[in-house]
Amino acid sequence: MVKEIERAGIPVVHVCTVTPISMTVGANRIVPAIAIPHPLGNPALTPEEEYNLRKKIVNRALEALTTEVKDQTIFEV
Amino acid sequence: MKLELGFIEIKDIQFSNESKVENGTLFVNADDVKAFVYEDDDVKACVKSVCFDIAKPGESVRITPVKDVIEPRVKVEGPGGEFPGVIAKVDTVGSGKTHVLRGMAVVTAGPIVGFQEGIIDMTGPGAEYTPFSKLLNLVMVCTQVEGVHQHEYEHAVRIAGLRAATFIGELGRNVTPDETKEFETLGIREGLEKYPNLPRVGYVHMLQSQGLLHDTYVYGVDAKRTLTTIIYPTETMDGAIISGNCVSACDKNTTYHHQNNPVVADLFEQHGKTLNYVCNIITNENVYLADKQRSSDWSAKLCRLLDLDGVIVSQEGFGNPDTDLIMNTKKIEQVGVKTTIITDEYAGQDGKSQSLADADPLADAVVTGGNANMVIELPKLDKVIGTLDYVDKIAGGHAGSLRPDGSIEAELQVITGATNEMGFNCLSAR
Repeated sequence: MVKEIERAGIPVVHVCTVTPISMTVGANRIVPAIAIPHPLGNPALTPEEEYNLRKKIVNRALEALTTEVKDQTIFEV
Repeated sequence: MKLELGFIEIKDIQFSNESKVENGTLFVNADDVKAFVYEDDDVKACVKSVCFDIAKPGESVRITPVKDVIEPRVKVEGPGGEFPGVIAKVDTVGSGKTHVLRGMAVVTAGPIVGFQEGIIDMTGPGAEYTPFSKLLNLVMVCTQVEGVHQHEYEHAVRIAGLRAATFIGELGRNVTPDETKEFETLGIREGLEKYPNLPRVGYVHMLQSQGLLHDTYVYGVDAKRTLTTIIYPTETMDGAIISGNCVSACDKNTTYHHQNNPVVADLFEQHGKTLNYVCNIITNENVYLADKQRSSDWSAKLCRLLDLDGVIVSQEGFGNPDTDLIMNTKKIEQVGVKTTIITDEYAGQDGKSQSLADADPLADAVVTGGNANMVIELPKLDKVIGTLDYVDKIAGGHAGSLRPDGSIEAELQVITGATNEMGFNCLSAR
């Protein structure tokens, strides 16, 4: 999906847990997520901590979206 | 560490008033097994009923939904007992003598997750795809106490199966085995001195540990809470590793697979002849990327530290564990240790899609257990042990898998052990 949307001319950030697979399949902007069963959350945290975590990941993804890249890039959170 | 396995050939199973093994026949008093199973408080609290049945090779019988398959064994000499840390107290197993009731298994059945259990056919084309069709199966169909959480129930059925296998195994304690075999692992220096010219080979054994009922236990420890470590191969023969998995049936390792690991068997077969079988390295398949990185780093570190020349890596499951497999392989190759991997494929029903979710040029020696997406047809069988209620929902099934005439069309995935990634099954392209 990432590749097809990009092929249509729209930049994509792939937020995913297993970044090596994202690299293998060819995503250009990658933001690491938390875990496979809960990519954008963490049930071990309090709701407030979890909100901050989500916000951080989304902000990082937005930042990645507006960053020029030459190669496949992982934007660490 | 040296273990002697004494194999008692079981040629028939019959229900009886008395539980015993006599002249190769296992006589079972189902009430006695049930009473022993129910001595456990968790089983008492979570398992509403246990119903025993017997399925023999060639019978027109379909067992589903299958959770685990377990071989009854009993420790007759040496420290510890079967399933240490779970049934027996924690103590290092893998030495002394163990009796094996060969040719049979305890099979736990009945819905747990529903869509993540499997099918064992005792005859027809389905039987060709599962090694368990060749065993005499003592099947325990379990039902759940209402309101019990799924994970509590999975634990209780896991314990129920292991307890039944322990009860049956105990019946072989005083029986003279039909065959005995010895397995020995030497210390590092001893091995080097004894086999100076043989390649040093290890086995990297990946354990399913994704959580949410996709779990494996080592001496009772949840594998997702472990770091990659070393284990004697004979420890696994005494039930040191057990399955707690409700996951696609075709490529999950049941407890029977762990007890009878074919990689261990074949490496022991070659030990001292073509290679020096050094040890097993067990590593997990967790859902956090950091865990994947840490565990695969550790696999490579241990391979190097043990000065191995080569390893066999076996995977369990598919999807994101493909990344654990590739990370292990890549890192182990990068420290100068050769690898061969055993996996299976999800290449689509036509076999034309990418087989694994991850890949790397260093993973250039691959053995496959087959394509789990392949579509198969299973005829209606006369008797069902368990229920057909989940056939449409089981991983590999689809709406309409169970046809009105009782036959089944589904992906190979539905069959327990069909594409096993230890290479336990015999699918071949030849």
